[in-house]
Amino acid sequence: MELAPLLSYIAFFLVFAGIFAVMALGLNLQWGFCGLFNVGVAGFVAIGAYSSALLTGPPEPERFGGFGLPILLGWIGAMLASGVAAFIVGVAALRLREDYLAITTFGIAVVIQLVALNAQTITGGPFGVQSIPRPFFELLGSGLAWNLAYLGLVATVLALTWWALERLVASPWGRVLRAIREDEQAAASLGKRAAAFRLQSFVLGCMLMGLGGALYAHFVGYIAPEDFLPILTFQIWAMLIVGGSGNNLGAVAGALIVWAIWSVSGGLLREVMPQAEQARGAALQVVLIGVLISAILVARPRGLFGERARVSRHADGHDG
Amino acid sequence: MIPALEFSQIEGGYEPGLPILRGASLSVMPGEIVALLGPNGAGKSTLVKAAAGLVPIWSGRVTLGGRDITATPAHRMVREGLGFVPQTENVFANLSVLENLLLAAALVPKARRGTIDAIFTLFPDLARQRKLAAGRLSGGQRQMVAVARALIASPAVLMLDEPSAGLSPKLVGLVFERLQAVRATGVTILLVEQNVKAALAIADRAAVLVEGRERLVGRAADLADDKRLAHLYLGGGLEEA
Amino acid sequence: MLQLVADGLIVGSVIALGAVGLTLTYSILRFANFGQGEFMTWGAYLAVSALTFVLAMTGGGVMQPIEPFSFGWQLLVALIIAAVLTALLALLLDWLLFRRLRHGNAITLVIASFGAALALRNLLQFFYGTLPEYYSREIQISLRLVPRDVMGGLRITPDQLLVIALTGVVVVGLHLLLTRTTLGRAMRATAMNPALARVAGVDVDAVVRATWVIGAMLAAVAGVFAGIVGQIRPMLGFDLLLPLFAAAILGGVGSVWGAVLGGFIVGLAESFSVPIFGAEYRAATAFLVLIAILLLRPTGLFGEKR
Repeated sequence: MELAPLLSYIAFFLVFAGIFAVMALGLNLQWGFCGLFNVGVAGFVAIGAYSSALLTGPPEPERFGGFGLPILLGWIGAMLASGVAAFIVGVAALRLREDYLAITTFGIAVVIQLVALNAQTITGGPFGVQSIPRPFFELLGSGLAWNLAYLGLVATVLALTWWALERLVASPWGRVLRAIREDEQAAASLGKRAAAFRLQSFVLGCMLMGLGGALYAHFVGYIAPEDFLPILTFQIWAMLIVGGSGNNLGAVAGALIVWAIWSVSGGLLREVMPQAEQARGAALQVVLIGVLISAILVARPRGLFGERARVSRHADGHDG
Repeated sequence: MIPALEFSQIEGGYEPGLPILRGASLSVMPGEIVALLGPNGAGKSTLVKAAAGLVPIWSGRVTLGGRDITATPAHRMVREGLGFVPQTENVFANLSVLENLLLAAALVPKARRGTIDAIFTLFPDLARQRKLAAGRLSGGQRQMVAVARALIASPAVLMLDEPSAGLSPKLVGLVFERLQAVRATGVTILLVEQNVKAALAIADRAAVLVEGRERLVGRAADLADDKRLAHLYLGGGLEEA
Repeated sequence: MLQLVADGLIVGSVIALGAVGLTLTYSILRFANFGQGEFMTWGAYLAVSALTFVLAMTGGGVMQPIEPFSFGWQLLVALIIAAVLTALLALLLDWLLFRRLRHGNAITLVIASFGAALALRNLLQFFYGTLPEYYSREIQISLRLVPRDVMGGLRITPDQLLVIALTGVVVVGLHLLLTRTTLGRAMRATAMNPALARVAGVDVDAVVRATWVIGAMLAAVAGVFAGIVGQIRPMLGFDLLLPLFAAAILGGVGSVWGAVLGGFIVGLAESFSVPIFGAEYRAATAFLVLIAILLLRPTGLFGEKR
């Protein structure tokens, strides 16, 4: 077997795993540390991806954006845009009970996808945004060297994110967050401050999802509405469930493991299914993953590295 | 004579490793009113809930008229003849008074079904309010509905968890007077109560539960004058009185 | 304007039926089932298969429509078969998945239902492919009920009228079930207080099963209705999920009449939004209704505070 294609594949795989890990860390901040159930992950990823793409890409006739800004600014813009969106959603929705938050965030993602698909003058509609600039492109061209360089970039971003989150969680801010998650009474007595903490956690988590979206956009070079379907939300959730929520190691490990399962199952199905049936094979892949996740939820709800199951904010208590 | 309801060395609790009942035993004879007393946290509520099948029993036996009901699931208890009126949230607030009764009646075999008329004879106020949602009634009336709901299934034994809780003294008197009328129809009553005076006034016998075990059992009249009763409530032991 | 009202009522019927099933499972099983949409889609597609089966069993050929509708009695039989099969699907899903998660964290059930919905949708695509289906190729002529000079006039097909009427029938039937039968009272009691229900003698596990069956059957009927007035496609249920939630929450979770009213309100809102925002954005209307009700009155129109 030739080394270069294998290395390229591995690099490709790891880049995606790293991008998903960043998103999973964001979701972990919301769910694992704060008990917020966000079913709109794909929407915030989309906001980040589109923001960065439109800020840094070349101009396109009859479409907004294309300012050609440096990539770093694009990424910062991605985080800001998803942060602002999260703020607006959070102010309205975070005080709702968790299942209503789930439905609302789900609705957000649906609406964002709808806008991405239809607002052709802003987002390029079904054609998406093309020619998204890739970092180091002039230096390295395409191919293995560039993939490896991008992998280094993603790994750096992931490491920085991890470090920042670990510091955050260990800080007084983080301790209050855990208290809010664990103890409904403490949360109630903190009143408005608890709401502020939840909002901060939600916004930060969504900013990380936006960053993941930007990392994705600049790796692939082209984004379209169908890159941000509910299945993406489910993938990130699956990563968190498998790895175990509540700690960052679980999020990253889950990302790696679930992405591995996804890639391997996808590859296997592509081999096994005849050419004409590829679409059906893809559907079957989702079913298998769905079954796998459900099995883990039933058999080992804590995931592989997770902490003790958190107490639900609306757990039905015993009488007396 | 076979006890109508008997607890033998019951150990149990909500969470494994956190026992609330530590070997409690109690016999209730047919036709009696027995008051179950004791300080907060003693396990009085837990004991009757265990009999009702709502709290896990780790060891020991509960028998109803001689039949072992220790492992019987909660929803079968009415068929067995054991009725239970919980302390709080003891009516279906979204159903009318009549619907509360109709539902309870439909869940026992026809032979055991009480009639609505008989219930309304026992609780005349409820007849006027039969169409009202149970959640809209006052505390005292809700309590009546709760008892009526249990009664229409013609239980042999009726357990009540602090029926006086949250009621004014006058209403307490009313409820307890109704309980005596219920007993007169042949129902055996086990009454968990914090209101010691009122409970002892209508009970034949009483038992004091402390830390999951019965400590003092005897005739209600005797216990009313027993200094050890107060002592147990204040945390002392039997010997120190 | 009348036309918009009619269109709203037609879409509203489908949403209402789906939302009623959703509100029942939500209040009795105590979780938001993201899979309710997929029960609708499966109901619609199972009816397609059942229709083929029934036609084959009765001598093959094409379904002869019962005038003035576009379909024949075979579709009604297929509908019943599909409803039963969808109910079995729901029971299977409960047995495999939801039943094992009930003791734990409430929100885990929602996550699981989201994943189950994804799996169901893709399983359907695996079996049926992605092309749209139809129950009948009959072209329906719409009847002009109101002349054009009166509020814009009104054209409606017999099928559409039937769907609206049948929705009313189903809802009335369900109302009678919930208020006049022991099962119905047991379901309402369990929704209020499952522990007390047990004490009163209700077999809560049986009520849970009954709830799944009723909720899934309602979804299947809604799916078939959607297929009668529109096309049957894999995203049918998913696209209705947000309107379903909006309707159920607007009506107040647990209230059947609330879900019906909510369904029609959402349907009308979507219909009226088309001339303003364009047809592509009609799904966003449901979201706006949802946000509005959550901000203004989270318990909904007829809901109880929980």
